[in-house]
Amino acid sequence: MIKRKLILIMENKPGALVRVVGLFHQRGYNIESLHVDPVDDFTPYKFIEDQLETKFKQNEISRLTIQTLVSDSLMRQILRQLNKLIDVIAVSNEKTTYLKGVLLDENLL
Amino acid sequence: MGTKLKLSGADMLMRALYDEGVELIFGYPGGAALHIYDAIFRQDKIEHILVRHEQGATHAADGYARSTGKPGVVLVTSGPGATNAITGIATAFMDSIPMVVISGQVASHLIGTDAFQETDMIGVSRPVVKHSYCVFDANEIPKIVKEAFHVATTGRPGPVVIDIPKDMTAPENLFEYEYPEKANIRSYNPPIEPDSNQVERAVTELINAQRPVIYAGGGAILSNAKDELFRLNEILDAPVTNTLMGLGIYPATHYRFLGMLGMHGTYQANMAMHNADLIIAVGARFDDRITNNPSKFSPGAKVIHLDVDHSSVSKIIEANVAVFGQVKNSLSAIINQLERKLDQYNKDKLQPWHEQIKNWKSSHGLNYELYKDESDENPILPQAVVQHVYNITEGKAYVTSDVGQHQMFAAQYYHFDEPRKWINSGSMGTMGFGLPAAMGVKFAFPNEEVLCITGEGSIQMCIQELSTCLQYNLPIKIININNEALGMVKQWQDMNYGGRHSQSTYQNSLPDFVKLAESYGHVGIKVEKNSELKSSLEKAFSMKDRLVFVDIYVDPSEHVYPMLIANHSLEDMWLSKDKKT
Repeated sequence: MIKRKLILIMENKPGALVRVVGLFHQRGYNIESLHVDPVDDFTPYKFIEDQLETKFKQNEISRLTIQTLVSDSLMRQILRQLNKLIDVIAVSNEKTTYLKGVLLDENLL
Repeated sequence: MGTKLKLSGADMLMRALYDEGVELIFGYPGGAALHIYDAIFRQDKIEHILVRHEQGATHAADGYARSTGKPGVVLVTSGPGATNAITGIATAFMDSIPMVVISGQVASHLIGTDAFQETDMIGVSRPVVKHSYCVFDANEIPKIVKEAFHVATTGRPGPVVIDIPKDMTAPENLFEYEYPEKANIRSYNPPIEPDSNQVERAVTELINAQRPVIYAGGGAILSNAKDELFRLNEILDAPVTNTLMGLGIYPATHYRFLGMLGMHGTYQANMAMHNADLIIAVGARFDDRITNNPSKFSPGAKVIHLDVDHSSVSKIIEANVAVFGQVKNSLSAIINQLERKLDQYNKDKLQPWHEQIKNWKSSHGLNYELYKDESDENPILPQAVVQHVYNITEGKAYVTSDVGQHQMFAAQYYHFDEPRKWINSGSMGTMGFGLPAAMGVKFAFPNEEVLCITGEGSIQMCIQELSTCLQYNLPIKIININNEALGMVKQWQDMNYGGRHSQSTYQNSLPDFVKLAESYGHVGIKVEKNSELKSSLEKAFSMKDRLVFVDIYVDPSEHVYPMLIANHSLEDMWLSKDKKT
């Protein structure tokens, strides 16, 4: 088990955070640390805007940083399950980004 | 520009449901939902079905959804109304059934105060829904309804909850109503068309396979992929097995059909999966009832996995080729490619594989000899009941089931040639599902034969719906396979717990089901002898406009076989009480 960092970009909506945390809890993945901020500088996420053909507006999205202890084999499954949540726009680890079903080489770290 | 329609939140909800194409709602009124119920009273486009318990509403909507492919709609009140619906929501979630559940909530200003009949429905339902919405602004009701139906029915389908605080539906507040033409959720974009590289890789594997097996599940039914699957196998000529959830997607009477696989699958289906060199998984997810011990699962097989859900692929069994997209579209793309390479595909190379399967089938196929001797000295066998029902209904009925031995016997001995006719709670295994689900099917198909194969344990979990069947005149046939015990629990206790029947029998406390059915205004028939079985069933099915409850006493010692031996491979099965592979 290695401590790993995940970044999520998600819609800033009520209930979005609890769905993410709930998924960890339900599957038995422990959260070591968690940090969430509204995003006001969208420059690093232009590739997401391009991919989704959208423009983010002020206070619309949040950036969530989670540190968790998981095995390698669980990592991909966590990414995919987080990506499945409706309010989650993109999930990223050190290597890849899942963006609503599309796997990209960029990462959000 | 004409003036826009001004409606209350409750009227907007009903109008939005109508604009979404909803015909039926299954529900139960209560305080927090009363504004909505008044709106129901004042319209005549959508029919509301009053059940007797909110669990029944969810299962009925579920049966409607499974049989029609359209989303089921449920309306309940706050508090106990909402929590009673949870089992049915979870059942739909586990089997990926499209459903929209609208729950009343206490008024906004009372939320969080422990108000009368307050419960955090969004919180309680969160682990068992695909998504949920709470209405904070009545203006958003049309948009939320549109989104809820979109999420429930697309991608991998599932239940969506809309929780509506009572003040959002108050009659005195009017809003401009406009129903959005389409839902636009930028963070939700399920795959539809497969990646052409993956399709190409899949086709190469198909061409090279010597021992392929097509393994199709509920996802193929949800995607309405029957014709595509059939066409694919016209080319491939491979053996086909279906999961419990997939029964009917490939015709059971087709000579390439192996029967169901898994825990209580046929010998030949499990052997073929174990010895295959290529598994083509079509909308199936390698559930633990299919794989037995995953590390011993089908050691020599490559896997092509067609699924709409990324998180289902390589979750349990690593896929060599993953084809993401609507299963129907992925199959079409594969067929398309394959048709261009027909000169490279030789059906005849599968001949040794077909020979091998034929041998497996003839050595340990489902044992029909069991109930050849139907004299009255012998107790009625549950398999014989299903077999007679199959013959009488010519295999054409919609069959719902509950959970347990009777469910497995129904899956093994009722041979479904069409999808959406076998309606059962597969993943969740919800006892009490069968009767309300049959109601939902009967509302959708009033002129078709709808029957519920159940047991005396399961049927008592939602028996109150017999009253709903009377109110709406639903002539369902209930086939109660009565072994006077919780049969599957008892079977496990026989096999794994030294025959200690802990809490699996009722000590002569069962109701008289004939009188029970009669007290609800229905017909009851009791069957205790083999010589009465066929004629009683024929009599039941001849009463076209009545609900008939056929209470059939069967051999209480009968077990379901084959049965996988836990933690082993798919080759390791009990074939009878004293014989294993």
